[in-house]
Amino acid sequence: MSKAETIIELRGIKKVYQMGGHALEALSGVSLEIGRGEFVSVMGPSGSGKSTLMNIIGCLDTPTSGEYYLEGKNVAGLTFDQLSSIRNQKLGFVFQNFNLLTYATAWENVEVPLLFNGKNARRRRQRITELLEAVGLLDWKEHRPSELSGGEQQRIALARALANDPPILLADEPTGNLDSKSGEDIMGLLGGLWKEGRTIVMVTHDDRIAAHSERTIRLFDGQVA
Amino acid sequence: MIAIFFRNLARDLVRQPLRTILTLSGVVWGTFSVVLLIALGESVGASQKKSFHGMGAGIVLLFPSRTTLPYQGFKSGKPVRITPEQAEDLMEKVPGIETLSPEFVWSRRIRYGKQEFMNTVRGVNPSFERIRNTIPAKGRFINPMDMAERRRVCFIGDVLATDLFGRDDPIGKQVLIEGLPFTVVGVMAKKEQNSNYNGQRDENCAFIPWTTFAALYGAKYVSNIILRPLDSGRSAAVTQDVKGHFSKLAGFDPKDPDAIFVWDTLEFEKQFSVFFAAFNVFLGAIGALTLLVGGVGVASIMMVVVEERTREIGIKLAVGARRRTILVQFFSETLMIMIIGGAVGFALAAGVIKLIQGIPSEEFAEFFGEPRLSALVVASTGLILLAIGAVSGYIPARNAASTNPIEALRK
Ligand SMILES: Nc1ncnc2c1ncn2[C@@H]1O[C@H](COP(=O)(O)OP(=O)(O)OP(=O)(O)O)[C@@H](O)[C@H]1O
Ligand SMILES: [Mg+2]
Repeated sequence: MSKAETIIELRGIKKVYQMGGHALEALSGVSLEIGRGEFVSVMGPSGSGKSTLMNIIGCLDTPTSGEYYLEGKNVAGLTFDQLSSIRNQKLGFVFQNFNLLTYATAWENVEVPLLFNGKNARRRRQRITELLEAVGLLDWKEHRPSELSGGEQQRIALARALANDPPILLADEPTGNLDSKSGEDIMGLLGGLWKEGRTIVMVTHDDRIAAHSERTIRLFDGQVA
Repeated sequence: MIAIFFRNLARDLVRQPLRTILTLSGVVWGTFSVVLLIALGESVGASQKKSFHGMGAGIVLLFPSRTTLPYQGFKSGKPVRITPEQAEDLMEKVPGIETLSPEFVWSRRIRYGKQEFMNTVRGVNPSFERIRNTIPAKGRFINPMDMAERRRVCFIGDVLATDLFGRDDPIGKQVLIEGLPFTVVGVMAKKEQNSNYNGQRDENCAFIPWTTFAALYGAKYVSNIILRPLDSGRSAAVTQDVKGHFSKLAGFDPKDPDAIFVWDTLEFEKQFSVFFAAFNVFLGAIGALTLLVGGVGVASIMMVVVEERTREIGIKLAVGARRRTILVQFFSETLMIMIIGGAVGFALAAGVIKLIQGIPSEEFAEFFGEPRLSALVVASTGLILLAIGAVSGYIPARNAASTNPIEALRK
């Protein structure tokens, strides 16, 4: 893919955690660009700041300093609710630990982002069916997360992340809690999504998983190596 | 739209039965204990005041009785006889008395039209009104002219008035007491009276001038004397002086403890107020303890719930919930739980209060009064509930929805 258009741009992003007396710099000036339609993997040792970086890109967290442009717009100037609608429509986030609503069924979990997007009942039903079919779990729609395997839970989480058809998919160690077979299933799905034209940023520890991506960004001690 | 909102709300509550039941039971328990405590505290307080003042505040009752010591050649057991004139003369002879009335107390047939009852008739003087709080709702009490002219007039209790006259106005009508016509000059205002002596409660009595009583029925000696000392602190001394005075007149040993039986409500009150102060402290301590236990229970349940809830908020924010959506959802959930839990708690407390009212023991009723779900109880419990609801449900939700989604997700 050409890098004609930059979709994600970070400039000098710092994240400092105040821990009691002393400050911990999880990110110390990260700058990077990701083009529309790119498949990028982020690697680095534990504690190097990969999750911190992903949370900032996913608008789940705010940097201490630095600038973040999403589709050319400075995210720092946005209100809480504007960020909510970005998370709802522009970004899909897949977590290592799935973060599904434990009391809700697979169907209801996928429905949540659609409800916040004000979709009517008929269109929700249609979309959920489509998504569950795409991840191969339509027959599991009435199951709760506790009744699903890790791989199945992650596929539900992936379906939820795709609910409002976001252009960007962010995944923080999506296969970290899965066996290699389930991991390959997820990677197959991500690969398909990339081919459809989505931008994918994925954190991983595993070189074989990273091999699915076009480019790898390496983090070390809160900086791009 | 609203229907969908409520359906989702109900579904959310039902979907998390453990959380809902835990929170609900906390609220039910909290409401139940608070309502019951406030209702009981209030009614005990009220019954305490009522029993003090229903019979009359700060009064001494003297019942001429029989001698228990031999005196001047008479064996013990001689009846002690005091005339109403001697009783009224006390005002002159013994200092420190504010006011008094002699009383004749007999049961008489009272009749109006077809209604006839055997009720207590009291022969008294005009001072009786102030001593015993027999305030007229209509008309007037017995006056000095009635006394002087031995008029056939009567003042009647409110219950007797309804028994005889129904909804008609009794004032100016004639009732027959033992066949002789009396004009009704006044009807007593309803009053609470839990203690009594000699005959029926005031609400059932007819009051006539003692002069008329003596003339018509040939009564010579009083059933009792009722008096109020000027200084309530000196009631014991005044009583002693009265006994000394009567010992000469009626011929009994001034040291005879029972020749005149004394009921000093002032002494009674002193003892009771100490008792009630202790009781109030006790009740307050129990109330504080119950609230504490209930509060800790609700709080610890909420701790568990809030942690789980915070994660839920984090997830919802992460997939694009607006802050207001979250707040509306959690506020209505909390409100729903508070309303349902509050209603159940109220119902349980009301049931227990009904049970208490149904306890047939008179002593129990006198002590606890009539616990009711009064406006005070409802309002204060409502406020406490609202406070608990705000603190335990809304504030954590607001806090969770005010941070970065990732903060909420870390929980
Ligand atoms: N909420 C927090 N408070 C304080 N320090 C934090 C917090 N979150 C992360 N850190 C610290 O910031 C640094 C980077 O953490 P981060 O989770 O981004 O690392 P990571 O690269 O994702 O590690 P891993 O591979 O183990 O997931 C670590 O030293 C971590 O301890
Ligand atoms: Mg991480």
